[in-house]
Amino acid sequence: MNKGGPVGGGGLGVGGSGPTAAAAAAAAQKQKTLLQRVEGDIANIVDNFSHLVNVARVNDPPVRNSQESFMMEMRAARMVQAADSLLKLVSELKQTAIFSGFASLNDHVEQRRVEFNELGEKTDRLLSRIGEEAAASLKELETHYSSSAQKNI
Amino acid sequence: MEEGTQLQVSIDKLPIKRLESIEENGIERFPSDVDYDEKRLSLIRRIDFAWAVEKDDEEKNKKQKKASKEASTPWQWQSMVENLQLAHQELSVIIDLINTVEANDAVTVASMTRPKLLSNEALSDLAVSAATKLQCYRHVGKYFKQSAKAFERQVAREARFYGALIRLQQNWKVKRQRQAAIAPGSEGFTFDLFDTSYDQGAIYRSSSTSTVRVNHNPAGMLAINVSPNSCHSLQFGFVGAQSEERLGKSEEHKSDFSDEHHMEETDKKPLNDEVCVKKTHSLLREVHKAIFNEQVFDLVNREAFNASTGVTVTGIRENYLQLSLGQGTSVYLSLVPSDQDRSAVESESNNDVENANLPESSDEMECDAKHNTWKKEEQFHHSTCYEIYIQQIFHDYIFGRGSEKPVSSGSRLSGAQAKDGSGLLGHFFMSLAHRIFSIKVLKELENVACKVPYLQLISNPTWNSRASSWTLNMEVPQSIIRTSDFNEKNASKRQFWTKVLVNDDCINVKAEGSPNVSGLFKGKAEETHTINRYDCNIADLAVVILQQVASQIINWLYHEAMMVGIKANRDFLSLCFELEQGETLCLIANVDPEDIEGCISWWLVMADSFAEEQKLHMNMNMNDGASEYRKFLGHLSLELLYATLMDLVGLCCGGGGGH
Repeated sequence: MNKGGPVGGGGLGVGGSGPTAAAAAAAAQKQKTLLQRVEGDIANIVDNFSHLVNVARVNDPPVRNSQESFMMEMRAARMVQAADSLLKLVSELKQTAIFSGFASLNDHVEQRRVEFNELGEKTDRLLSRIGEEAAASLKELETHYSSSAQKNI
Repeated sequence: MEEGTQLQVSIDKLPIKRLESIEENGIERFPSDVDYDEKRLSLIRRIDFAWAVEKDDEEKNKKQKKASKEASTPWQWQSMVENLQLAHQELSVIIDLINTVEANDAVTVASMTRPKLLSNEALSDLAVSAATKLQCYRHVGKYFKQSAKAFERQVAREARFYGALIRLQQNWKVKRQRQAAIAPGSEGFTFDLFDTSYDQGAIYRSSSTSTVRVNHNPAGMLAINVSPNSCHSLQFGFVGAQSEERLGKSEEHKSDFSDEHHMEETDKKPLNDEVCVKKTHSLLREVHKAIFNEQVFDLVNREAFNASTGVTVTGIRENYLQLSLGQGTSVYLSLVPSDQDRSAVESESNNDVENANLPESSDEMECDAKHNTWKKEEQFHHSTCYEIYIQQIFHDYIFGRGSEKPVSSGSRLSGAQAKDGSGLLGHFFMSLAHRIFSIKVLKELENVACKVPYLQLISNPTWNSRASSWTLNMEVPQSIIRTSDFNEKNASKRQFWTKVLVNDDCINVKAEGSPNVSGLFKGKAEETHTINRYDCNIADLAVVILQQVASQIINWLYHEAMMVGIKANRDFLSLCFELEQGETLCLIANVDPEDIEGCISWWLVMADSFAEEQKLHMNMNMNDGASEYRKFLGHLSLELLYATLMDLVGLCCGGGGGH
């Protein structure tokens, strides 16, 4: 990839640095691959299902029924395999969302950071207030003790 | 055939299609194909059985003639016999034909056709095929249903798992391992709990616990396995401190972690997803804290051997470090597994007391024996404080270096100290030493304030870990104050203060001294008296305090005497009045910290003009209170002192003489 910047217009329309263009190209390629996988799996399911339906006709020679039953099992297994592949694709998309959702993650981290800073400041103020109250209480108790009869005996 | 019979030969037409007719329009008509059955039938018909029939007829006629001759009436079964005979003849013909066919003699089987199935037979095969196919479809349908249920369960499991993972990702760093390293049954997710703020040199210790693998529990929910032994908590304490209180605190910590870990492991009771996420978050937080504690321990371990910290390492084991602060004080810092009985650590540390750094001199041994009782009582109450404090110090050092948060004064380190990690431990132990020392100072002050009724001890919080301050306040009772003194200038003389400031282990005493003449004219309260400053050690602290207080009383009495117009001479601890005969009447203060009845006692000494100073400087014997020249007045309150002063003033005014 060109690291020196866009050269000749790569068709991406990105006027940024090399890594950004490479990342965009990789993302587009990955998206294309995922779409192909989705289309392939769905086509596989439709194709196998149509074959299953077409086999519904009852033939005269009994020998062909066994052959058709094996074929039906095979078609059904392929359909299930394609559905499983779709589910795995969904899992991959979820993982991608987990690891690629930087915008929301950053926003959330920033929000939490602000919250924790506020909590820290609030705790500091609380500690200061507690210290002041403790000092005031200590002074009051010391005064009370000094003026009490227990001390003046 | 019989001999003499004529042989007839018939010639069949050639088996070729001959044109039967042709129509005017040119269409040719051929005879239709003869069916196999018809062909066979025609061949059979071509066989001439006339001779056999005629023969039979002749025989029949002869028999009939005979029969008619014999019987006039016909037999009832005659027709049936004749039919049977005819059938027999036909059967014999057929049998001959079959034998001929079997012998392949002139007749060959051209083809055999399956007899046509009946409608019910044809439909039965179709029904069987349809039923078989229906069974196949049902089997396929069942397979689809099972697969659908499995997929639904998997989707639900994944939804729970990823939902929990996304929620935890908002607070924790989630990493994914490469495909090759993923164990079967796991997606390869891990929680990375190691903070980048930590020292890179200390990664070796925390690498095993900083990465927590994400697994699935049998219900499909996110689960993590954290061994309680891998999580350590920091424990700080004094060597020789009582272990019962520490055991109670350790059990509290143990129950928190073990309950959480137990609920995470046992899946007998299905937990709510929300609860499960919270439990996982708590577990991760425990591990995070354990990593931090390990970092703190490592830092302390490395800095303890630095001579600038002022401490000596007296014991070291795995996850255990014992340090001596001097003056018989030993502390330990250890990493304790969350589920381990901490009393074991205490018993080991107590056994190490013998191996600890012994005091260097006999004086220190006496000091240790003296303070041994308060040590065991006070140290526990402060060990938790020190534990929190050392964690706070290193937390600010590790995480606060890049922070723009301003460092508050007193409770936090200064900027210079915060940048240098090596000074942290020294600062901590100096704070610890200061705290121990200040407790001793406070004991002395409380002892003095308790024994002197008119002294009030006031604590002055400094909010500094290495500085402490107290004020001993003495206030003139309200009953003594005259009405003419109720103005701002004289109001300041009602209170006399003595401040004690302790910085680390240095004691500084600051007290209000004698009145400042220039300050009196200025009228400023803070400049009316001189300020005396002393540095002393703890052994002399009580004496210094008492001397300052006594001096303040002398100053006050002197001021009162001046107010009534009596000229008096004052010394540091004495106030002298001159009588008419040249005699001197002195009121002398005696300070003794060990005096149980009161630390400040008063003597009245009379001296003549000829150098009775030697008697004045004689060592006053407390038992000899009824001397001719001196009289022990006792431990007087301020009211009594004022009254004594007034009596002395009256004596001075009324004339001299004896007592």
